[in-house]
Amino acid sequence: MTLPEDALEHLQQVLRTPEPPGDRYTLQEPVGQGGMGTVYRASDRALGRDVAIKVLRGDVADAEAAVRLEREARILARLEHPGIVPVHDVGVLADGRVFYVMKLVRGRRLQEFAQGASRSDVLRVVLRVCETVGFAHAHGVVHRDLKPSNIMVGAFGEVLVLDWGIARVVGIGRAAAADGAGNAPPPAALEAPPSAASAGDAATGPAPDPVTAPGTVLGTPGFMAPEQAQGQPGLVDARTDVYGLGAILRAVIAAEPGGQSAPRPLAAIWARALSPTPAARYPSAADLGADITRFLDAQPVTAYREPFHERAGRVFRKYQTAIILVLTYLAVRLLFLAMRGF
Amino acid sequence: MNKPMLGLVLGGALGALDGLSALASAPEVKPHIMGIVVGSMGKGLVAGILTGVVARKVNNLAIGITVGIVIAALLALPFALAADPATGKRYFWEIMIPGSIVGLIVGYATQKFGQPVPRRS
Amino acid sequence: MPQHSGRTGDRAFPTTRRSVVEATRDENADVRRAAFEALVSAYWRSVYSHLRTKWRAQPADAEDLAQEFFARAMARGFFDAYDPERARFRTFLRTCLDRFATNARRNERRLKRGGGAVALPLDFAGAERDLTASGAGAAPEMESDAWFDREWVRSLFAEAVEALRAECAGTPREIRFQVFERHDLARAETARPSYRALGEELGLPVTQVTNHLAWARRELRRLVLEQLRALSGSDAEFRAEAEDLFGVRIP
Repeated sequence: MTLPEDALEHLQQVLRTPEPPGDRYTLQEPVGQGGMGTVYRASDRALGRDVAIKVLRGDVADAEAAVRLEREARILARLEHPGIVPVHDVGVLADGRVFYVMKLVRGRRLQEFAQGASRSDVLRVVLRVCETVGFAHAHGVVHRDLKPSNIMVGAFGEVLVLDWGIARVVGIGRAAAADGAGNAPPPAALEAPPSAASAGDAATGPAPDPVTAPGTVLGTPGFMAPEQAQGQPGLVDARTDVYGLGAILRAVIAAEPGGQSAPRPLAAIWARALSPTPAARYPSAADLGADITRFLDAQPVTAYREPFHERAGRVFRKYQTAIILVLTYLAVRLLFLAMRGF
Repeated sequence: MNKPMLGLVLGGALGALDGLSALASAPEVKPHIMGIVVGSMGKGLVAGILTGVVARKVNNLAIGITVGIVIAALLALPFALAADPATGKRYFWEIMIPGSIVGLIVGYATQKFGQPVPRRS
Repeated sequence: MPQHSGRTGDRAFPTTRRSVVEATRDENADVRRAAFEALVSAYWRSVYSHLRTKWRAQPADAEDLAQEFFARAMARGFFDAYDPERARFRTFLRTCLDRFATNARRNERRLKRGGGAVALPLDFAGAERDLTASGAGAAPEMESDAWFDREWVRSLFAEAVEALRAECAGTPREIRFQVFERHDLARAETARPSYRALGEELGLPVTQVTNHLAWARRELRRLVLEQLRALSGSDAEFRAEAEDLFGVRIP
């Protein structure tokens, strides 16, 4: 027999699509590709809904990658937060590749969303990302790969942080970051030795991972902190993600259409987050978020010492209607005074 | 600070200032200035608290401003219609217009600022 | 000929077996002949299309050259020099073909068919129709190599589909092949029925349509991989080819 081209292409595509065990899930088309895995839209016959299934990519399907993907699933399963995609199931394909099932997210990536959104809307999205990342930090998890393409804004305004593929469990103390002086706590004092179960508990969070080998570089150029880029995993903590958040902020605000330059307080916020040394950055995602909130409320931000004339301008802009009304009142009084003079 | 309290404080303060400003626009009323200031402040307090109560119930800038103007104007009207006993002059517009503007300012401020009432769960 | 791995559906990937390429060097003439038949079956379309697209041979000449190429390959042991460390087998075969075609063109004569040539009933007319329909006949030289590979993949899948058909024929699994044929072998995306429509047509619930399709695809994957292993010159080549075809690393 001879196979027509359409049929051949179709057969190649269906045979490339992985097949989960059993008949609960049916994979459809691929919807995303990450560093480690491919995400497929799938049907869940048991519950009659669409889900997303992430499968290890064939060219990286070795034992270490399988461990990473499974760990990613377990980290996501522990982090129950509106900004983190819930995981429903995890398993192994017939060919040995690990997969996990999660909620299917529909929406736009942050850079696409930012194209048509106002600055304040974009900042509110970044604020939600800060909250989500701060939640992860409070549970001992550092994302390590924050970038606009890993942020999804759903159709109903929900904001999700995706792709926790290289997230690392560093222990609550270290992920919740620094003391008041901005110093990282010494790793030895906080990292519990990995247990055999490697499960951790509710009080201490998931057990820390074995330390990534020094020299290992994981992350995305342009968004990863210097300590990541230099392969210093021992220095990775919450401030590493603060750097990523600052890079996101700069990327989406600097790319505003019309080429308008960003206000100095906002530029100062991302400049502080992007400090080469962790001690100079915001100590946590929550602190960064707090400064963004101040900016949105037209209040002074901690990252920027505004000169008097800028402060006056800011206060004027915030209360300009009331100021104009008072000036109108004074003008009327002066008018009456002038009329009396005549 | 909640909205009625904000209205009270703002109305009282602006009312007092409004009364004092009469010295500039009508210097002949200087002997009666204390009464003018107290009266103006009183009007401001009443107008302010009423406007603040409305702002707590209704979240609408246009309505808040209108209520502020109307209440302030109504409270100022008797004083605007009365003649000065010493000079016999009426200061109708000098009282009504600035007074209404004060009402407008209080109406705006109580809508825009001040703590709203927390929602009952 | 390669052996089957055992019970159908037992394993995702076929176990180690002797490749057809190795068998072409066997001492036993019958084994060599059977191996060459398998190679011809897998590569004749690629060879024909390559002669038509790259060498611009007319259909009749391309047909003769293809037959003669395989005859000479067997008689003179073209593939004895194949070294899996240096290239994939189909790349090597294509190189042999190019060398053969160069000599033929230089001599500019029709080659006589050698004695004992393999004369398989090859559907050159059908291959020519497909080539014309695809427009590949006008492809520039650079694309002719890609077309060679494409025809090879087509042969691979076609053989696997025929093997699946034969496996299901006359058994209770025949309905599974029918579902697969109606859905996955449809000539165009627009002709592909929905699961519901297919279920109504064949009197099956949708869940069974899904199950039958899933089974058929799993079987097809196994058969393609079996065929692929047989045609690969080495284990490493098989793994590389499987990864290219299915995006999955063979464990």
